Amino acid sequence: MKLRRASSVAEAASASNSLLLAGGTEVVPLLRAGILEADELVDVRAAVPRGIDGPTIGAGTTLAELEASDQVPDALREACRLAASPQLRNTGTLAGNLLQSTRCWYWRLKWPCRLHGGDECFARDGEHREHAVFANDFCGSAHPSDVAAALLALDATLATSRRTLPLGELYRVPTADDRRTTTLEPGELLLSVELPAVERSVYLKAMERKRWAFPLVGVAASRGKESTRVALAGVAPVPWLLDERGLEAATPLPGTAYKVEIATALVRRARAQLDA
Amino acid sequence: MARLIRTEKEVEGRYEEVWIVVEEDALEQWPDGPLRVVGRPATRADGPVRARGEATYTADLRLNGMLHTAVLRSPHAHARVARIDLAPALALPGVHAAIGPGDVDVLVAECGFEGAPVAAVCADTLAQARAAVAAIDVEFTELEPLLDPDEAVARGALLGEPRIRTRGDVERGLAEADVVCSGEFRTSPVLHNSMETHQTVVQWVGDSVDVYISTQFIWGVRESVAEKLGLPQDKVRVVCEYMGGGFGAKNSPDDQTFIAAELAKRTGRPVKCALTRREEHLAAGHRNPTIQRLTVGAKQDGTLTALVGEYVNAVGWGGWSSPVEGPMHLLYTCPNVRSTTHAAKLNSPPMKAFRAPGFVEGTFGLEALLDELASKLGIDPLELRRRNHTEQDPSDDRQFSGKNLLECYRRAEPHWERRHEVRARSTDVVKRGVGMASQIWYGGGGPPSYAWVRVGSDGRATVVTAMQDIGTGTKTAMAQIAAEELGVPLEHVTVTVGDSSRGPYASISAGSSTTPSMGPAVRAAAADARRQIEEIAEQRGDPGMPLAEVVALLEDGQILGKGARGPNPAGMQVLTFGVQVAEVAVDVETGEIWVDRVAAVHDVGRVINPLGAASQIEGGIIQGVGHTLSEERLQDPHTGRILTTSFESYRLPTIADVPEIVSELVDVPDRHLTNLGSKGLGEPPIVPTAAAIANAIRDATGADVRRLPIGREEMLRALREAEQRQHESGRREAPARV
Amino acid sequence: MPELDVNGHRYAVDAPVGTTLAEALRDELTLTGTKIACGEGQCGACTVLVDGTPVLSCITLVHSVEGATVTTIEGLRDHAMVDAFVRADALQCGFCTPGQIVSAVALVERNPSPSSEEIRHAMAGNLCRCGAYPKIEEAIRSWRD
Repeated sequence: MKLRRASSVAEAASASNSLLLAGGTEVVPLLRAGILEADELVDVRAAVPRGIDGPTIGAGTTLAELEASDQVPDALREACRLAASPQLRNTGTLAGNLLQSTRCWYWRLKWPCRLHGGDECFARDGEHREHAVFANDFCGSAHPSDVAAALLALDATLATSRRTLPLGELYRVPTADDRRTTTLEPGELLLSVELPAVERSVYLKAMERKRWAFPLVGVAASRGKESTRVALAGVAPVPWLLDERGLEAATPLPGTAYKVEIATALVRRARAQLDA
Repeated sequence: MARLIRTEKEVEGRYEEVWIVVEEDALEQWPDGPLRVVGRPATRADGPVRARGEATYTADLRLNGMLHTAVLRSPHAHARVARIDLAPALALPGVHAAIGPGDVDVLVAECGFEGAPVAAVCADTLAQARAAVAAIDVEFTELEPLLDPDEAVARGALLGEPRIRTRGDVERGLAEADVVCSGEFRTSPVLHNSMETHQTVVQWVGDSVDVYISTQFIWGVRESVAEKLGLPQDKVRVVCEYMGGGFGAKNSPDDQTFIAAELAKRTGRPVKCALTRREEHLAAGHRNPTIQRLTVGAKQDGTLTALVGEYVNAVGWGGWSSPVEGPMHLLYTCPNVRSTTHAAKLNSPPMKAFRAPGFVEGTFGLEALLDELASKLGIDPLELRRRNHTEQDPSDDRQFSGKNLLECYRRAEPHWERRHEVRARSTDVVKRGVGMASQIWYGGGGPPSYAWVRVGSDGRATVVTAMQDIGTGTKTAMAQIAAEELGVPLEHVTVTVGDSSRGPYASISAGSSTTPSMGPAVRAAAADARRQIEEIAEQRGDPGMPLAEVVALLEDGQILGKGARGPNPAGMQVLTFGVQVAEVAVDVETGEIWVDRVAAVHDVGRVINPLGAASQIEGGIIQGVGHTLSEERLQDPHTGRILTTSFESYRLPTIADVPEIVSELVDVPDRHLTNLGSKGLGEPPIVPTAAAIANAIRDATGADVRRLPIGREEMLRALREAEQRQHESGRREAPARV
Repeated sequence: MPELDVNGHRYAVDAPVGTTLAEALRDELTLTGTKIACGEGQCGACTVLVDGTPVLSCITLVHSVEGATVTTIEGLRDHAMVDAFVRADALQCGFCTPGQIVSAVALVERNPSPSSEEIRHAMAGNLCRCGAYPKIEEAIRSWRD
């Protein structure tokens, strides 16, 4: 294995059969666990913008920097504050957080599940208490990113090395034909996030410890000029934007019904905090 | 004078009859209360070395030429090795040896749990060893796993005969009862997860073998390794100067030691075998799950008339059946008690002792049921326990060597009184409550254990004994005891531990036994040295001559004292006692639980080091909070494979999960126990925590939580159930508000 | 061959790509004060400072911190925090302690008088199985005494 430093988007994006690395908090453990493999690692830190400039946030900005910033909306700051551990926030970047894989234990243990290209979702018929309540008929995994839920509620727009897109379009629910959970193409880099102005935003998180746990349910809500958006972490294979049907439309697994209960309470509270 | 006696030896509630040589313990106990050094807070003797990262743990050992081991483990909960070929591993660079089933008896072809060791490879680097293990050509035949404890009992898949313990007549007791309460309680598998994983380095030196190991029992390792290798015990040297936690999982040498020993023998090189964190989650032991079907009967005034327990210890593929029924038989004066304990043999990893094994689980069931009873009777839970207090061991009428549980209750009253104020702070959404639970457990230690004390002409003393300090601070306590007895400043005493070739036999650090076993031996050794110094002073015609002046005459000479642990008091039951009061808040919409405060009052006899004692109490309570709220090893329900193999999914408490902890010790020497009157404190604080929290939750919300851990799902389930009950009965069945 | 400044000394680390900073510190430089307890970035025992910031050395590739300034527990032995930990009895087995102290030092360097809430937030990535947490909090509160 080699490590190459890319000093420009062109250098990073031209890399093929390689793995992009910034903070490395997700990629390095997955490499060491044998879930990811690569001939070449490309350190893209010099190629990806870092820092907060008004409504634009560099994708290389660390969670710790976002947590400490008074320039970012409350929902994003709070999502960063309650994400991962202090050391992980110090190294982990915004882009890395958005692109992290599910914490589904079957997937992390390399069971030959649908996300790994197999023909079974072991969680659906097995141990799934931390899994999805929406869009879970093919794959029961839950998306773990607090930050993604916050950005989805904030109606963020992403700029990649090839296009701009609403954050929601970065993700896709895996299907039998295409097991990927993001729409990112090989070599495409996340560069920045653009946030529209909002009046108010909030992030509430339920987890099994007071700190350093992935969300059982994370609820982000924001009120903009025209509408209120509510998005959830930990409830579907992708960050989940709540539509007008709300939690009524949930299709929990036998072991995840309690998540709907938690989400119902947190959504109500989040909306109340926006109105307060 | 040495004496050979037949005595009962207890470790963690397991008894055996043994012959042992004991020395008469001629010393009078010291006066009550804090003394000059003993009973005063002392900082950890090896604190700076550990804190500065200078301490060499087994994990840090780097011997010349040392090879590293990787282990091939069964990926299935139940499987047979159909075919295995080690040749591809041996062909890889850096590989020195590979062994498989039968090459050493801990490597097996019949795999009863995921993680069972099948083969092992040692190589120059760990990466090479891992690559070689991955290259082993192996094929498993999968077998049907047995995972359900009740099914195992029904099918007779048991480890040993069911254990039946009876006193009185429970049918009569239940017939006499005015109120009967029943419930099924369940506890989940929790892992020790000491920060230093299990590891051993083995080096052959001529015809002897050096074993560097992270262990709780240097002498047990020496005996087991000698037996397995067919060596005289004095050809085995066991070293453990610093170790990174055990909690019961490191009482034995374990598989990695025998794998390393075999590979070291084959290669002629030092070999290290260290478990990864993932292996630690699979194959390093755990507190086994239990099912407890319990019934209690009582008179209207709270007098217990019957206690009945049907227990299943879901032991796993190996291990032993912990005394989960112990609290039911020991805690209350109830005349009619019957328990049956089945040990289910399952295709899950073997259990190991974990900090008060059995009693933690059994106390949760019993003490939660007692609060359900108190609620039905409308009696204050603390008062209910007082009314059923017993002055002697209710199972055999033996006297307790010392018991101050009523004093613990008395001192807990101010904490218990807070419940009115705590409840009053409840809101519609966040309910607050207070719960309590009693603690009973062993912790008396016993012989044999020995120590030497060496005093030089500079007036400095060294305590020499081949015990281990597993992080409990025992080394510091021993220094305090020696300093007290010798009359020298604490900083003039050094304690040398951790090497079987450099000191006499010492106790296992399990069963809260290190201080009560070692302490009296150290005091006896110091007293022996002091006696010699006094004799010299008398010979010099100055019986009052200060120690420093006497030893100053020695030049290169040394005073050598030796001491042994005396016997436990004949015919007496030696136990520890206590009570904890927990305050919680519960968000009834999201199931979130906050443990805000735990007050702990324990009776463990004389306290040697109040600072270290507070740390032990806090540590026990925090582990208790973990297994009450967030820790659980999960298995795939179909295959039995373990799903929580990392700290991401197996959740230890963080600093943010810790309640305010207030601790107090009765600190009265046990008059009948040794020259110190001290018992152990390692385990008692973890015993009542889960029950106190569960009772606080019921106080706050009216919900019966009968399953550990109480995660969001369980909390919300219990709340819904309580709501349903309330709906059906048309009135709120409130907990006793007394 | 990446060069690093570790505790004020320059080192060239001869290790293949994929080697972590923790492995390099422990195996190449024999600085074994930094512990590896999980190897997956989940417990904090391996915490070191990279350019002054606490990071998890067990999931940091040594080649990706080339040229950085690394401070391990060996470089903080004379820091008042070490004595504060000993005074408060903020360690039991001590295996997680070097990582705790590194995190604690970073905290007080930017916030010399952290509140209880700030301590709990900043130290939540350092697991201690012995449960020395209350005394760790006390040590950090009283580190300058």
